[in-house]
Amino acid sequence: MRAVPWQTGEICGPDSAKSLTKADMLKRDLKLAKKPLLIVGHDAVGMQHGKGDMIDYAIALSEAGNIPIVATGGAIKAFIEKGFVGAKSRGAMELAYYLQDPDWKGPHGKGPHDMIMIYGITYYMQWTLLSAVMNFATQITPIALGRYFQPHAKWSFPNMKEKQWHEILDEIVELVKGGK
Amino acid sequence: MKKKAYIKADDAETSLGHFKGLEVRIGEIIDDEWDEPMGPTPKPGPTTLRSWDHKLLTRYQPSYMPYCQVCCLCTMGKCDLSRDKRGACGLDMKGQQARIVLAAANIGNAAHLAHARHLVDHLIEEFGPREQLKVGPGTEIHAPVSRLVTGMRPRTLEDASIILDYCETQLAHTLSAIHTGQEGSWLDFESKVFHVGMIDQVSMEIADLVQISTLGFPQADPEAPLVQSGIGMMDTNKAIILTIGHNIVPAASITDYITEKRLHEEVEVGGMCCTAWDITRRDPKAKVVGPISWQLRFIRAGSADLIVVDEQCVRTDVVQEAQKVGAPVISTSDKAVMGLPDRSDDSVDSIVEDLVSGKIPGAYIPDHHKVGEVATKVALAIKPIRRKKKYFPSKKQIQKMAAECKKCMECVRACPNDQPIQEAVLAAQVGNFEPLRDLYQNCIGCARCESACPNEYDLHSWMVVAAQEDCKKETYMVRTGRGAIQDIEIRRVGQPIVFGEIPGVIAHVGCANYPGGGKDVHDMAEEFAKRRFIIVTSGCAAISAGHVLDENGQTIYERRDGAFDAGCVLNVGSCVSNPHIAGAAIKIAAIFAKRNLRGNYAEIADYIHNRVGAVGISWGAFSQKAASIAAGFWRLGVPVIVGPHGSKYRRMLLGRADQDRDWMVYDARTGDRVQIAPAPEHLFYAAETVAEANVMTAKLCIRPNDTGKGRSIKLSHYIDIHETSYGFFPDDVWRYIRRDTDIPITLKDKILAQMKENKWKEKQIPDPTLLKEQVYGGGV
Repeated sequence: MRAVPWQTGEICGPDSAKSLTKADMLKRDLKLAKKPLLIVGHDAVGMQHGKGDMIDYAIALSEAGNIPIVATGGAIKAFIEKGFVGAKSRGAMELAYYLQDPDWKGPHGKGPHDMIMIYGITYYMQWTLLSAVMNFATQITPIALGRYFQPHAKWSFPNMKEKQWHEILDEIVELVKGGK
Repeated sequence: MKKKAYIKADDAETSLGHFKGLEVRIGEIIDDEWDEPMGPTPKPGPTTLRSWDHKLLTRYQPSYMPYCQVCCLCTMGKCDLSRDKRGACGLDMKGQQARIVLAAANIGNAAHLAHARHLVDHLIEEFGPREQLKVGPGTEIHAPVSRLVTGMRPRTLEDASIILDYCETQLAHTLSAIHTGQEGSWLDFESKVFHVGMIDQVSMEIADLVQISTLGFPQADPEAPLVQSGIGMMDTNKAIILTIGHNIVPAASITDYITEKRLHEEVEVGGMCCTAWDITRRDPKAKVVGPISWQLRFIRAGSADLIVVDEQCVRTDVVQEAQKVGAPVISTSDKAVMGLPDRSDDSVDSIVEDLVSGKIPGAYIPDHHKVGEVATKVALAIKPIRRKKKYFPSKKQIQKMAAECKKCMECVRACPNDQPIQEAVLAAQVGNFEPLRDLYQNCIGCARCESACPNEYDLHSWMVVAAQEDCKKETYMVRTGRGAIQDIEIRRVGQPIVFGEIPGVIAHVGCANYPGGGKDVHDMAEEFAKRRFIIVTSGCAAISAGHVLDENGQTIYERRDGAFDAGCVLNVGSCVSNPHIAGAAIKIAAIFAKRNLRGNYAEIADYIHNRVGAVGISWGAFSQKAASIAAGFWRLGVPVIVGPHGSKYRRMLLGRADQDRDWMVYDARTGDRVQIAPAPEHLFYAAETVAEANVMTAKLCIRPNDTGKGRSIKLSHYIDIHETSYGFFPDDVWRYIRRDTDIPITLKDKILAQMKENKWKEKQIPDPTLLKEQVYGGGV
């Protein structure tokens, strides 16, 4: 069944993300990506994942693949409180704009980024950010790691059941850790 | 300024000769008693200020986030524009997005302008064209926006009408640019967005100016009355008339009738949205029920015996909703007739009879003289019939219905704020109504959850039932709209604002599409008021700011002064009062810097952009009117922050702090090109959270002209809010340091270390301008 946007009115247009139902589906894109960036929004704070939350997950994913993290909406505070100092802070709208510049080196100076993995930004705001990337930053492969379907990404979970989503998230960490 | 003159003589003997069939037409007679010289751009057309717009749009480039990938505006489409394809007309995605932004700004301006036109025509009919316009004491520079844009100072209703003629022409031009095969460049679409935003400011200024002058509103009064607000403030022992919208005229006819017939003990009038502010400006006995998104909850509660709608932001299903609670509706505006029968020519008694008996669900009565009498008589007659009935389901009934929930999650998927509605319904199954009660606080009252529910549950009503005790406690005192800022207040604060010693002027304006409840607006306003910023409010944001009580049971308006001064919180009034905020910034240029305003837009906008640390915040912006209001501030170079829903306006105007070349100004003293800090960094920005909005607000108050002391004060606030919200010392402080004097003394060590790390070099403090012609000697 074709995935549909989580918020029912958010119909975008002819292009739509592919349903991400198994971690392995990302294998090829992860292999091709030279400089990924992990974007984590404020809704990730306090969102349960395993024994921790989605901030812990971001740290795990970052460490698994040496992927720099940029936090939006003040989520940076949660990273700092967990003792993780490698994350940077930017506004979601600033990222949507900066990512359109193919020469932008990124908040850590490790770019230009050719892939973003993103979650934790309020659904509709992430929707608009990804729309900017899809239309004007075509050099970037966007992967939405939130539970709900984001049609502007290349890959997105199709409004997945919570338990299954967490399992696949963990598999993605393993995939990234295993040298992609 | 006089209106058009027309002389006709069949046979005239004059000193110049003998004329037969003489006809003379004069388009306009310019105000020859005004000694201020006319500036370079009186009554600018759509491209007159293009060069100024391009300066802003070069620094703050549009970042488009297409909300829809297709264009379906003509029959050559639909056209797929995704990934920068072009449509059949040749337009690309950026052009299309800019076109839609322009469409929104045009719609917004049309609403304000038509509102202004209605007011002016109505008031000319009531008072005559020579009725004087008066903003209040201490406002020698009245109508600063109109002066700046048109080069005119409107002194009578007739003058106001002439200015609206100009606005209407401009709107026709910018609207026509959207047609297929007209404008093709995103940059020029955006310039027209700015143009119509500027026109919008003029339109609104005229609307508020004429109503302040003639309808007994507070006139530039820092001590405008405190009025009652909140659902709990409505006295249900009386017949209640609910007025919704923005246009005071029909609502005024109701309060006038009640006053004339001395019926205050039997009937009361409550307003929602901007009509609420304007009826309380006219009659402080009227009440502000709540912001626009409270419509459904109050109608459904059944407390209103009659609903009178005027224009803008009215729920378009108001008749159907009112019918559910047996309340008739009177529509009064030709823009929002709502399908009701036109009863203009019928007698009051026959209309009252038909409405009270339920023969008709409502009536369209554009004759405002009749509305007051009909509304009052209907409300009084229908109250005893209606009040015997209960309109909400009981908790027991809700519990029973909730048991049948299909658990499909459609309610949640339909909710703009992704609220856990299904979870709350499931809790209600077992008699736990607390989760439904929690939803009430954050609900924007759109009722999309109900439309989506396959069981057709009235979910919004369930939330209100669960929160009935909270509704009763909604009792607040809010300061009604004061109108303009006095010149003397500007004299007092102009210098500290321009030097940066009052760290900023923050305006909370706009709608109530909040991501997490209206309390956020109060909290943001309080955060900066306590830091001695000047806080200005208007519209629904002004209502929400006043709907929070402190530990002493006081609202922000009770505990803070209403003057335009540091640490004060002043409500200017309704949507159309927003130009008083822009006007304050404009008057700073006139009064403190002695700049001429008359037809001198670019110079004054350049002054404001570089010197006046003002930021607009519309945390719940949803409408096209909010878009046009924002556009008016953008052209003045004033940054605007919106809440996360504002990202759906589909384009931001963002600067690149990391690109030094974008942050150059002329030093007006020498003509040199000088590097400045990236300030203000952005012109239009959607923040994800309150924390982010607060950090960005403090940062966007920084201006190139700040003195060392001013910059140091502004940076102290920025750093403090950043550390509190984000948990670390901001890493870009060094960019804002020009000389040692800019460094906040208590943070010197940290900042010096950061400066060293970034190889900081001392910078010149220029007399900043983006306009070469502002360089002394004309920049030659």
